[in-house]
Amino acid sequence: MLSKTNLMKLKVIAMAIDPSMEPMLETFIYESNTLLEQLDEILLESEKSKSLSEDHINEIFRIMHTIKGSSAMMEFNGVSTLAHAVEDVFFILRENPDRLTSVTEALFDVVLEASDFLKSEVESVQESGEANKDASGMIAELKRLASIMRGTASDAEPSGAASSTASAPASSSEPAAPPAAAGRHRVKVFFEEGCQMENIRAFMLLSQLQDLCDELESVPAHPENDASLCSEIIKNGFLIDFKPSTSVDDVLHTIESAVNIKTYELLEDAQPNAEAAPPEPAKDAPSSPNAKASSPAPAAAPASGGGKAKQSLISVNQAKLDQLMDLVGELVTTESMVVGNSDLKGLQLDNFQKSARELRKLTDELQDVVMSMRMVPISGLFQRMNRIVRDMCKKLDKQVDLVTEGGDTEIDKTINEAIGDPFMHMVRNAMDHAIEMPDERKAIGKPERGKITLSANNIGGEIVITIADDGCGLDPEKLLKKARENGILSKPESEYTDKEIFNLIMLPGFSTNQEVTEFSGRGVGMDVVRKNIEKVGGTLSIDSKRGQGTTFTIKIPLTLAIVDGMELAVGDSIYTLPINSIKQSFKISDDRQIILDTDGTEMILLRGECFPLIRLHRLFGISTEVTELYDGIVIQIENNDKIACIFADELLGEQQVVVKPFPSFLNKYELKKLGLSGCSILGDGSISLILDANNLLNML
Amino acid sequence: MSENQVITDGKSLDDLSGRYLSFYVDDTFYGIELLHVTEIISVQPITFVPSLPSYIKGIINLRGKVVPVIDVRLKFGQEERPYDDKTCVIVVLVENMQVGLIVDSVAEVVSIHDGESNNLPELGRNGERYLSSISKVEDRSILNIDCNKFFQSDLQLY
Repeated sequence: MLSKTNLMKLKVIAMAIDPSMEPMLETFIYESNTLLEQLDEILLESEKSKSLSEDHINEIFRIMHTIKGSSAMMEFNGVSTLAHAVEDVFFILRENPDRLTSVTEALFDVVLEASDFLKSEVESVQESGEANKDASGMIAELKRLASIMRGTASDAEPSGAASSTASAPASSSEPAAPPAAAGRHRVKVFFEEGCQMENIRAFMLLSQLQDLCDELESVPAHPENDASLCSEIIKNGFLIDFKPSTSVDDVLHTIESAVNIKTYELLEDAQPNAEAAPPEPAKDAPSSPNAKASSPAPAAAPASGGGKAKQSLISVNQAKLDQLMDLVGELVTTESMVVGNSDLKGLQLDNFQKSARELRKLTDELQDVVMSMRMVPISGLFQRMNRIVRDMCKKLDKQVDLVTEGGDTEIDKTINEAIGDPFMHMVRNAMDHAIEMPDERKAIGKPERGKITLSANNIGGEIVITIADDGCGLDPEKLLKKARENGILSKPESEYTDKEIFNLIMLPGFSTNQEVTEFSGRGVGMDVVRKNIEKVGGTLSIDSKRGQGTTFTIKIPLTLAIVDGMELAVGDSIYTLPINSIKQSFKISDDRQIILDTDGTEMILLRGECFPLIRLHRLFGISTEVTELYDGIVIQIENNDKIACIFADELLGEQQVVVKPFPSFLNKYELKKLGLSGCSILGDGSISLILDANNLLNML
Repeated sequence: MSENQVITDGKSLDDLSGRYLSFYVDDTFYGIELLHVTEIISVQPITFVPSLPSYIKGIINLRGKVVPVIDVRLKFGQEERPYDDKTCVIVVLVENMQVGLIVDSVAEVVSIHDGESNNLPELGRNGERYLSSISKVEDRSILNIDCNKFFQSDLQLY
């Protein structure tokens, strides 16, 4: 990340020349968002434990510092002043963590508020390229906290010392009083005449050198903060005092290759002298290397530690990942086009088959890698819920613990994004409507603190995510009444089972809540939640016990993209059945295997067990000549709790297919409920429909 | 449909307003705003999709994209008839969704200027449901399809 920061700063200079700052903006937005998310995570964790560890203080300081720097570069002054104010507060804390106690609660509130402000600013930058909201209220509050903290300390520092020291990128720990050890060097750099913005260039150079040096100081110390330093730099040159982590030559080489440098000279090995004018050491020696390591961006720690571990992470534009995924999909289709080419039919091609297998192995592997690149742990999503729960607890005066399980479960990034909003909606619902007020809970013998459990699990090719609360549960009678009022009942009320009643809330037209609270009931109902989940091929089910709580279960396919399928022919149509849901397939040879249920349902008797039979041609209304069970093929399918047999004309063979959703034009026909999860384009350009064993079984 | 005519109209090719693609269904001359049309293709193998209304014939593979196709005859409540080499699929874009319209044959692109269109007279079965206006082009009447009305029932959820 550090090199990215540098890159960004580099681009600032480029900006002066080239007005297109688009890529830089992108980097700024990406980086700030990542950092702010980290910040939230730390804050919430710390707030829970009511303390800030030294690491966390340093981390927050670093985050704010980075944001301050980059936003100042981008000239988002509101953002940078706020970040600066937060940074100041944490600078004091870094010096003396004990002072936290005087302001704990207020501090968390205002910093979270600041984090929200920064997020919204970054968002507005993203949308309009501008960020100009006013943060003076928060800044004042931060200043107040800072002064309280300073006041409580007996050895109050002169105000302002904190800010000036804190704003230096790498020199926030002052040079140790004893003469620097051998190995320090000093370089004086002169910039080209008339290149302008010498102070920024100097800062850029420092940033570049950060990777290469264990210690780094400069005169003037914080060139980026003061444009008036330009003339000084022009006149006296820019003095860099460093201790290289590898060799001096590396550093010199970097200086040499930096832009707009006219000359540089290596002075004698540095000795501390009056020119450097180190202020009073602000902290004791042992803590300073520690602080130093954590003050630059995270990647700097390993970099300066060993000097060998360079960056192992890069950020990639998601559009490129999507494109890669599409290409792999095309590749898989094309591969089956080649290998299964009708020109090859009936030919004995041993070597070709061998190569084809090799190719298949490689495409499989490629596919796995591409897939894994798109996977993100779900913990980020859970984390955001933490924040919502916290805020709503405060606003609604409820006490709720959020418990998360299985946060390391990985899901496709697209899915992760798609379920973000539904998730938030459900958590809000639970907070607002389900969990009772503490005294109510006490009265009915529940623990005062409510509990919302988020869990994610990877079960057989599906991700199962549950959102469970221990609140009041759904009231079937109320739901029925409301459904009746809204006229969405489709059969007599007495025929509804509890489960069906719960499902009513997911129907469009059910949530016509008149009351709009701040958190839920904005007219975005559970039907939208369900739609969003279904969009990525998932299903949503509800279970609830009156007075004990409600559980929402979301089941989502692991990936959307490619499945191993068995092609089945039914009449003129081709259907694809995912291999992982097939138990076995067989021909019926014995009349006694077919049993008719009392209501005419056909059952297949297999090794003493009976399984219901689904005739695909009947289910889908396809005309076919194969209607006798002896002529076709029976395939046994299963999911977690059910087994059934389906009947098709014949098996056409195994093929990997790329799953495409049905065109959204067909959304209203709810093909998913019919047991069709999507379609795919086969090697010969024809389309097959993909069967969904789960939904087929659920229809029984 | 010919490009020449488009150019000789004296408008730039980009300006599609007032231009209609005309086609025949059952000897009746219809027009659809060119703005909505993305391409015209010959009939392709159609994959049947269960449980759809009968006028949605299924889905086709349009260069890797899956596009639903509607038989305009059936949508208008007319007799189905076997597809031949004149049968065309007009691919239109409605609310960012591509949909194919199967028509008997595609005729040409015509320019209809303001003032050449009349409001609908009292019409039979499909008139008010799907049409926007009737225009006179040369000596023929052209029934202009109103895309919003045409797809209304399909775009309504539930």
